[in-house]
Amino acid sequence: MKNPDIQKQLSEEQLRIGVFICHCGLNIAGTLDIKELVEYSKTIPDVVFVKENRYTCADPGQEEIRKGIKDQRLNRVVVAACSPRMHEATFRRAVSEAGLNPFLYEMANIREFASWCHPNNPKKATEKAKDIIRIAVAKARLLRPLEIIEVPVTNKALIIGGGIAGMNSALDLAEMGFKVYLLEKGESIGGHMAALDKTFPTLDCSICIEGPKMVDVSRHPNIEIIANADLIKIEGYVGNFKAKIRKNPRFVIQEKCTGCGECKDACPIEYPNEWDCELGTRKAISLPFDQAVPLIYTINRDYCIECYKCIEACGAREAINFDQEPEEIVIDVGAIIVSTGFDVYLPYDMPLIGYGKYSNVITSMEFERLILAAGPTYGKVIRSSDGKKPSAIAFIQCVGSRDKHKYPYCSNFCCMYTLKHVVQLKEKYKEDIDIYVFYMDMRSPGKGYEEFYDRAREKGVIFIRGRVSRIDEDPRTKNLIIISEDSALGQPIEVEVEMAVLATASIPKKGSDELARILNITRGSNGFFMESHPKLKPMDAPTDGVFFAGACQGLKDIPYSVSQGSGAASRAATVISKSKWKIEPIITVIDEKRCKNVTSKCGICVDRCPYGAIRVEESQPARVIEASCHGCGTCVAECPHDAITQMHFTDEQIMAQIRAALANNPENKILAFLCNWCSYAGADLAGTSRFEYPTSVRALRVMCSGRVDRDFILEAFRLGAGMVIVAACHLPYDCHYINGNWKMKTRMDALASMLKKLGISPERFRVEYVSAAEGAHYANLIKEVDNQMLALGKDKIQAENQKIHPVLERILERKKQK
Amino acid sequence: MPLKKVKKNTATELSLEWILHVKNYRLTLDKKYCVNCQICSLACPKEAIIIDKQKEKQDINKLDIDLKKCNFCGICDIICPFGAFKITQNGEKSISVVEKKSFPRLIRNIKINSSACPKECTDCESSCPLELIKISKKNFDGKHINYIDKMSKNQKNRIKIEINIKKEHCPTCRVCEFKCGSGLIKVQKNIEGKILINQEKCPSECRKCVDACPIPEALDISKDLKKVQVNELFCVYCGACKVACPVDKALVLKRTKIYHTPASSGAWNKALKKLTSQSDAIKEFKAKGSMKAKEMVSRKFSFDEVIR
Repeated sequence: MKNPDIQKQLSEEQLRIGVFICHCGLNIAGTLDIKELVEYSKTIPDVVFVKENRYTCADPGQEEIRKGIKDQRLNRVVVAACSPRMHEATFRRAVSEAGLNPFLYEMANIREFASWCHPNNPKKATEKAKDIIRIAVAKARLLRPLEIIEVPVTNKALIIGGGIAGMNSALDLAEMGFKVYLLEKGESIGGHMAALDKTFPTLDCSICIEGPKMVDVSRHPNIEIIANADLIKIEGYVGNFKAKIRKNPRFVIQEKCTGCGECKDACPIEYPNEWDCELGTRKAISLPFDQAVPLIYTINRDYCIECYKCIEACGAREAINFDQEPEEIVIDVGAIIVSTGFDVYLPYDMPLIGYGKYSNVITSMEFERLILAAGPTYGKVIRSSDGKKPSAIAFIQCVGSRDKHKYPYCSNFCCMYTLKHVVQLKEKYKEDIDIYVFYMDMRSPGKGYEEFYDRAREKGVIFIRGRVSRIDEDPRTKNLIIISEDSALGQPIEVEVEMAVLATASIPKKGSDELARILNITRGSNGFFMESHPKLKPMDAPTDGVFFAGACQGLKDIPYSVSQGSGAASRAATVISKSKWKIEPIITVIDEKRCKNVTSKCGICVDRCPYGAIRVEESQPARVIEASCHGCGTCVAECPHDAITQMHFTDEQIMAQIRAALANNPENKILAFLCNWCSYAGADLAGTSRFEYPTSVRALRVMCSGRVDRDFILEAFRLGAGMVIVAACHLPYDCHYINGNWKMKTRMDALASMLKKLGISPERFRVEYVSAAEGAHYANLIKEVDNQMLALGKDKIQAENQKIHPVLERILERKKQK
Repeated sequence: MPLKKVKKNTATELSLEWILHVKNYRLTLDKKYCVNCQICSLACPKEAIIIDKQKEKQDINKLDIDLKKCNFCGICDIICPFGAFKITQNGEKSISVVEKKSFPRLIRNIKINSSACPKECTDCESSCPLELIKISKKNFDGKHINYIDKMSKNQKNRIKIEINIKKEHCPTCRVCEFKCGSGLIKVQKNIEGKILINQEKCPSECRKCVDACPIPEALDISKDLKKVQVNELFCVYCGACKVACPVDKALVLKRTKIYHTPASSGAWNKALKKLTSQSDAIKEFKAKGSMKAKEMVSRKFSFDEVIR
C-alpha cells in the first residue's frame, strides 16, 4: 500500500468511532426502537459518539456527520440506515468533505435488512439491527484509508442497435463532439420504426419522418455505422472498453455499390422477406427496404444459385465480390449504449387462436405491412385465402400479453397501434368495412392518445370489452368466428368476420441472453435488461459504463424511446467527457514476502483471476495490474498461502464481522455471505418489496462470492453457527466478475463434502444462487433454511459443533501461525 | 398469413410449397415419370435433392427434397430428362431462372415427317418405352377417326396422321427412330456420354440396374452369358442404373456433352461440372470462349471496314 507510515500511525492511534442512526422517516423508526439502538451503540467498545437523524441522507443529516467528525475528532464513521447499494457513495462524499478518508466509513443496513423485512417482529428486528450495527463497527475498526485510482478515458462510444433510440443517442453524442460507432446486426439501421406505415397519434408516415434521421446519421462525420455486423466480445471496464466486432460479408463491396438496383432486376431467385414478416419475397441480391441506410445490396448465399447474372448487370461498377470474407475489427470505446429493441411474439403455440392454421388470421405487424403502400400488396388489405378485401375485420388485443401463462406484463403500445389501424381502415374504406375491437382495457396514457381513442370511436368502430376465448374457421369461406365474452352484455357472443388481426405481445429480442453474457449485464424477470434502479437510474446498467436506451430495457413507444435515447447519450457523456475516470481502490495487493512463487513455482492466482490481471515471472512474486483488477477477490480466496489481500475487504475485516455476527446465540443464527451485485441486491429487493422472512439471518457483504474463503465458513462453524449460506449470482453466466461464482462453487463443493465427513448435517452449509431480481426467492430461501434449523434443533447443532470444534481449531490455528 | 412451408409425400407425387400471403411457390415431382436417376440431384445448386440409395424402387421413391434448402429456382424442372418436375408460381408454370436467362434449356430435337406415315402404322406409338407418343388419325375435315378397317382405300389415303409427342418428358432415347419402319423420325440425343460395365465386379444373378433402367432396349441381360449388356445407341445417360448398382465401380457412367440453349451463367457452369466432369466442362468453356472471340473479332473488323 501507498503509505505504510500512515498505516502504522493509524493502528497505533486511538479509535474514535461515530455511529449515526437514521430514522428514514418511518421506514426504520416505524419498526425499530431507535432509542434502544442508540443506547446499545453507546455500549460498543471504541464508539465515542452516537447520533440519531430523521433523514441522514438529506442535507441536515449530512451536515450532522460532517459536524460530528470535526467536533468529535472521529476517525471512523458508521451510518446505520439503508442499503450501501443505495447511499454508500452519498455518505462517502459527506465523510470526505469533512476531511476524513472516505474509505474509513462503513454502512450498516438496518432498513432493507431489518425494518423492512421484519415489519411484524419489531423486537426481534431491533435485536437484529443491534447485531448489524455491531458487525459494521467490527469492520470499521480495521478499515484503512485508501486513495482513489484514476484511469484514462477513451472519448468514444459504442451504440449497439441502430433503431430509433440508438440513432438518437448517436446523433446526440455526435453533436456533442464525440466519435460514435453505431453497430447494427441487420443490413440497415432503422429498426422496427422503418417497417411501420404510420405512427400514432399524428398518423405521420413512419419512414418519412425516420428516413431523414437515418440519412443524418449516415452523413454525420462523427458517426461510423457498422451494419451487418455482430458483437463478439467486450473486454475492459468503464472508460476503457475493447469491443471485438465481426463484419459479416455482404458479397457486395461497400465503396463501389451505388444502390442502382440493376442486379436485383437481373436476379432470378426470390425468397421470403423477413422484413415483410414473410408475407412477400425479396431477391437473393436485394435491399431489405428501399430507404435502407447504408444503401448497399446484400446477397443471401443461402438462396443464391451463383448464376452471376448480378455481376453481369453490375458491369463496369464491379461492386460484387463473391469471395468476401468476414472481417474482425477491434474498437476502443469509453462507454456503451445498448439499444437492441424488441421482437414480436408469434402465437404459433396458442392453438385456440388459429395463427398459422387459419389463413386469415394475422398479427398486427403483418397488418402493418399489408396496409403499407410499399408493402407486398401495395397498400391493399386483402385476405390470404382469396385475395379479396375483407368486409368485416376483428382486432384482438392482449394476445399473449397480460397472460399468466405467457407474458404477464402489458406490452405498452398495442392499444395505441390498434387504434391507429382502425382509424386508417375507416379513413380508407369508410362504410365498406365493419371493424370490431376486442379488448380488456384501452390504455392510451400519452399526450394526444386519449383524443385519438375518441377519434376511433367517432369513426364508428365497434369496441367490445371482453376476452376472446377462441377463433373458429368456416372451412368453405375461410371466414373466422370470434367467440368472446361481451362484458357489457354479461354474455358470450359470436361474431363472424373475414379477417382477424392479433395484437400480440412484444417480447425481449432474440439474442439478448448472448448480449447479456458478453456485456456482463443481467436481465430482469421478464427478459428485458435490468436497470441499476427502476425509478432513479432507468438508463444505467448495474455495470459502470453501460447504458440502456429504448425497448430493450422495457417496452416503450417511439417518443419515449427517442427521449431515452437522448437520455442515454447524456449518461454516456458523463463518462466519455472526462479525461480521467476514478476507479474504486477496492483492488487486491500481493504481499511479496508471502508469495511462494519466489521459492517454488506457483501461479495459482494468475490462473484463477477472471480478468487475467495478475502476472507472474519465475522466481518473482506475482504482480497485480491495478487498472485491470476489478476487485472480485477471487485470487484472495484461492491463494493457498494467504499472500494476497483485498483492500477494504481484508480477511481480518471479514473475520471480525463473522465474530461480531455470531457473538450471541450462534446456534440460532444463519450466517449468509452475499455478493454485492446479485444476492445482496436480491436481499435488498426482498426488503424493498416487504417480503417477510425469519429474523435469524445475519448477512455479510462481499463484492463477489469468489471472495468467500473456506476459512470464513470454518471460522463460522468454529464459533458455533447454526447454518451458513453462500449466495452468488446465477450460473453459468451471471457473475459480474465473469466466473467468480464458478470458482466459489468448486471451492465450496469440496468444502461441503469435507464438512459432511466431519459430521455436519448437509443442510447446514448451502451454496445458493439469487439474482438481483429475485427478492421473493431470497425470502423463501431464508424461510426454508430457518425451518431446517428449527427442525434440527439447537441441541443437535451444538452437538455437531462441539464434535468438529477441535478439528477446526487445529486448521485455523495453522492458518494463524502462517 | 404467415409463411407456411409444406411438404407432402404421397404415392404419386412429392410436392413442396411456400405459401405466402400474396404468392404461392410449388414444386411437384410426378413419380410416374421419375426414374430415380441422379441428374437433378447433381444439378441442384443448393444440394437440396437427396437420393437414398438404400430404398427399393417398388413403392417408395428414392428421391427426397429438403424443404429448408430448396429455393424453387427451377433448375431441376429444366434439367430432368424425363420432365418429372413442375415448378409453378401462383399456379402458373413459371421458371424464374429461364426468364432471367440464368440457366439454359435442354434441346430436345425430335422431328417426325408425319405426312409420309403409313396410315395403319403404329410402330412409334408401340415402341416408345415411356408411352409418350400418341398417334391420332383425322379425316379431311378434322374429325377423329377411330376405326379405319372399314374404310376404302381412297378414304384411307385422305386420312391425316397427327403424331403427338410429349416432348417435355422425352429423354431422347431414339428407340422410336430405330423402330420406325419408314425411317421418318429423326431424334438428336440431348446427353452424350459413355457407359461401361466392369464384368468382373458385376455380380451374377443381380438385376438391379436392368430393373432401374427406364429404357428396356438400353440395358439388358444377354441370354447366353447371363451378364448385363449395354446398347449405347439407346442409353440416355440418366444414371438410374448407377444409383441402383450395389457394387462400387461395377458400372461406370460418364456424361461428356449436354446440348442446351445458349447460356452464360455461373450456375450452369457449376451444374455442367457436376453432371459431366471438370475436363468436359472446360472443353465446353473453351469452345464458347473461342466462339465469343470469333464474334468479337468479326464485329471489330466489319466495323473497321465500315469506317474505311
